[in-house]
Amino acid sequence: MRYALAETTRSPGAAATAATPYDEMVDPSGDVRPHYAALARRVASLSDEDLAERQRLLERFFLLQGITFTVYGAESSTERIIPTDLLPRIIPAAEWATIEAGLVQRLRALNMFLADIYSDQKILMDGVVPRELVLGAPSYRREMQNLYVPHQAYANVCGSDLIRKPDGGFAVLEDNLRVPSGVSYMLANREAAKRTFPGSFRMAGVRRIEQYPDLLLSTLKSMAADWRPNPQVVVLTPGVYNSAYFEHAYLARLMGVPLVEGRDLVTHDNMVYMRTTTGLRRVDVIYRRVDDDFIDPLTFRRDSSLGVAGLFNAYRGGNVVICNAPGTGVADDKAVYAYVPEIISYYLGEDAILPNIETYLCREPSQLSHVLANLDKLVVKAVGASGGYGMLVGPHASRAERESFAVALRANPDNYIAQPTIQLSTAPCLIDGAIDPRHVDLRPFILSGDKIRVTPGALTRVALRKGSLVVNSSQGGGSKDTWVLGEPETGEAAP
Amino acid sequence: MMLARVADSLYWIGRYVERAEHMCRLADVLLNATLDRTESSGQVARMVISAVTDGEPEGELTPWDAALAMTMDSEDGDSVTAALARARENARQVRDQLTTETWERLNLIYLRVTGPSAGREFSDAPSQFLHDIIADLHLFKGAADATMSHGEGWGFLQLGVFIERAQLTGRLLQAGFGRSLGRPVTEHAAMTALLRMSCALEPYLRKHTADIQPRLIRQFLMFDEDFPRSLRFATARIEEHLSGVGRNVDLGGAAGPERLAGRLKARLLYAEAETLTAEDSDLLVATVLEECALLHAGIYDTFVAYSLEMRLPA
Repeated sequence: MRYALAETTRSPGAAATAATPYDEMVDPSGDVRPHYAALARRVASLSDEDLAERQRLLERFFLLQGITFTVYGAESSTERIIPTDLLPRIIPAAEWATIEAGLVQRLRALNMFLADIYSDQKILMDGVVPRELVLGAPSYRREMQNLYVPHQAYANVCGSDLIRKPDGGFAVLEDNLRVPSGVSYMLANREAAKRTFPGSFRMAGVRRIEQYPDLLLSTLKSMAADWRPNPQVVVLTPGVYNSAYFEHAYLARLMGVPLVEGRDLVTHDNMVYMRTTTGLRRVDVIYRRVDDDFIDPLTFRRDSSLGVAGLFNAYRGGNVVICNAPGTGVADDKAVYAYVPEIISYYLGEDAILPNIETYLCREPSQLSHVLANLDKLVVKAVGASGGYGMLVGPHASRAERESFAVALRANPDNYIAQPTIQLSTAPCLIDGAIDPRHVDLRPFILSGDKIRVTPGALTRVALRKGSLVVNSSQGGGSKDTWVLGEPETGEAAP
Repeated sequence: MMLARVADSLYWIGRYVERAEHMCRLADVLLNATLDRTESSGQVARMVISAVTDGEPEGELTPWDAALAMTMDSEDGDSVTAALARARENARQVRDQLTTETWERLNLIYLRVTGPSAGREFSDAPSQFLHDIIADLHLFKGAADATMSHGEGWGFLQLGVFIERAQLTGRLLQAGFGRSLGRPVTEHAAMTALLRMSCALEPYLRKHTADIQPRLIRQFLMFDEDFPRSLRFATARIEEHLSGVGRNVDLGGAAGPERLAGRLKARLLYAEAETLTAEDSDLLVATVLEECALLHAGIYDTFVAYSLEMRLPA
C-alpha cells in the first residue's frame, strides 16, 4: 500500500504515544481503517499519472470557476487558486453523530450566553465568567444592550474549528461567530470530488451537503419579522477585492438573492432599501459578510466606506435584521473560550460533549508564570488576532523568537492565552505526486435561526507544509473535501 | 427588479465583449492586408487606424505593431486584452447574476489572453490567435443566450452589445467613406477588407453578388434589415431592449431614453436608403453616433445614477 510506504517515519508496530498524531486513515498497527478501505484500494489501483491527471482536473475546475485569490505584485497581479487536495477526508457516521450533538449544544449555549450578557448579565452576576473579561473585550458591543434579537439567535452562522487529538477524540479549538468563511470551499470541494472520484463517492454513501444554501436561506428568512411574509434577503459583501468575494457571490447565487455592496443600500426613515433599476426596494434581512466595525459609519467606525449609514438604527428599530448580529465576537473571544464548558453547564445543565483544549489565561499571574516557564511547549495566541497571525508555536520557534514573545507577554499579559501544542491529526494528501500525510483540522458550519441546522459536512483545512500545524489559508494552508458517511443500511434512506 | 449597479455592470460586459470581438477582426484584417504589397494595403491600414484612433495616427506604426497594440496593449482601454479584462472584472462583480456556463466562457477567454504564453501565441500565429478569441466570444454569447434568463439582466447585456455595435459600425463607415477622414476607399481589396472588418463579406456577397461598390456597401452596412451588424438592425435591437428594461420604471411623466431610441430606430427604418447621397449618408452616420452617445448617458441616468429624491418609496 503506497500510503503506508510513505509513512516511514513511524517505527513499525509502535503504539501511539501522546506525541504521535492520530492518523485519519491508518491505525497504529499499520492497517487501513475500515471507513477508508474502499478509497485506499481505489487510490492504490491508480498510477501516478492517473493521480496527477485527477489533480489537474481538480485544479482546472477551480480555475474555471474563478475560485481564486489575487496575489498583488509590484507590476501586475496574478490569480491563484486556493490549494486543494485531491484525496477526501472521511468521517464515519458514529463520529459525526457525536460532533453534531456537540456543535448543537455548544451553539445553543453560546447564543444563550450572548442573549444574557446583552440583557440581564446573570452569568456575570453569578461570577461564572469574570465581568471585566466580557465587558472589557473589544468585541463587546454596548450598542447591542437590550436589543431584541429574534429567537435569541445572535450567531446565525457559526464555523467552529475542531481538531482531532492524538487519542482520537475531537475537541474545539476555536469558535467563529462573527463572519465565518469557508463554506463555499466545502461546497466547491464536493462538486470537484464528485468529478474526480465519482465511483468511490457513490460507493461510500456520503451524506449530502448541497442543501446548505437552502438551509441558510431558511435560517435567514426565519429571522425576519412575522409581518413581513415574503422577506427580501440580501448578502452584503465588502466588494470584489475582498479575499472571500467568491464565497459571497457563490452563496448569493445559490440562494437566489441579490449580492449587494454598501453603496447599493440606503436608509430612509429607519428602513433599509436597495437601489434597483426601477427605484428603491425594501430589504428585510442582511446576511452581512462585513465586520461589525465597518457595517455602519454612524455607529461603529466612522472611516468605513463599506457600510451603510444608518443601518444600525434601522436594526434597532426592528425594520431590518443583521445576521450575524453585531457583537457576537465577544462569545468567540479567545479568553472567553476558556469558559465555554462552564457556560454550557450554566445554561444547559449539561457537560460539554466536545471538550475544549486546555487553555491558560495569561491574565492570571499563576498561569502566566507557568506559560513563561513552558514557552517551548506551548502555543501562545493574541486574544484579538485571528487567521494564524500574532501567535507563537513554541516548539517550532527559535530561542530568539520565544524571548521576544516573552517580552510582549509580560508587557501585556491580558492580551494572551496559551495552549499546549496539539498534534493535529494527519490525513493522506497528494503532495508533489506522492501520497504523504499532512496535519488537518475540521470546520463544520452550524446555522441557527428558528432552529439549529447542521449540514453533515465540513471544510477540512490542510497544513500543506510538512510538519506544519498551521492550516490557515493565509499561512500556506489548503483544503480538501470531507466525506461524512451515512449510517450503513439505516440512516437516511433516499426517498 | 435588479440592482442598479448590477445592471450597469451587465451593460458594460456587453459593450466590452462586443468591442473585443471587433478589435480582433480589425487586427486580423490589418495583418492580412499587409500580405499583399499593393496600394490597397495602405488604404486598409489607414482605415483601421482611423477607425480605432480619434485623431491622426501618431508616428509611423508598422501594421504589425499596430495590430499587436490593438490586441495586447494593456494601457489602451480599447485593446482586446484590456476590453476582455474589463469585461471579466465586471462579470466578477456580478458573478451571482451570470450563469456558471456564461461565466466559465468569459473566464476562460480572459485566462487565455492574459496567460503567460499569450504573447508568444500571438507572434507565432496571430491570425489563429485572433480567430480563437472570436470563436470563444461567440461561445460566450451562445452560452449567455442559451442559459441566462432573457429578462432584465439580459436586456442590459444586449443594450451594451448593440449600442457598442452601432457605434463601431458607424466608426467603420466613417473610416471607409467619411469625407472628414481623408480619402474614401476605392480599391477593390480595401472595400473587401472593410466588409471583412464588420464580418459582412459573406452576407453582402449573398445579397449583392460579387458586385462590390462603395454605394452598395454603405447601403448594406447602414440599412440592411437582417444583417446583425447593420445600423438599422442594431438600432432596432436597442429600441427593443430599452423598451423591455424600461417597462417598469416610473419616470413621473418625464421622457426616458426610449423616446430617443425610437426616433433613432425610425431614422434608419424610414430613410430613403436607395437614393441617399454620400453626403447625406455621412450626416446620418454622424447623427447615429451622436444619438448613441446620448442613449448611453440616458441609460445611466435613468437606471443607474438616478436621483433618490425622485424615487423614494411612497
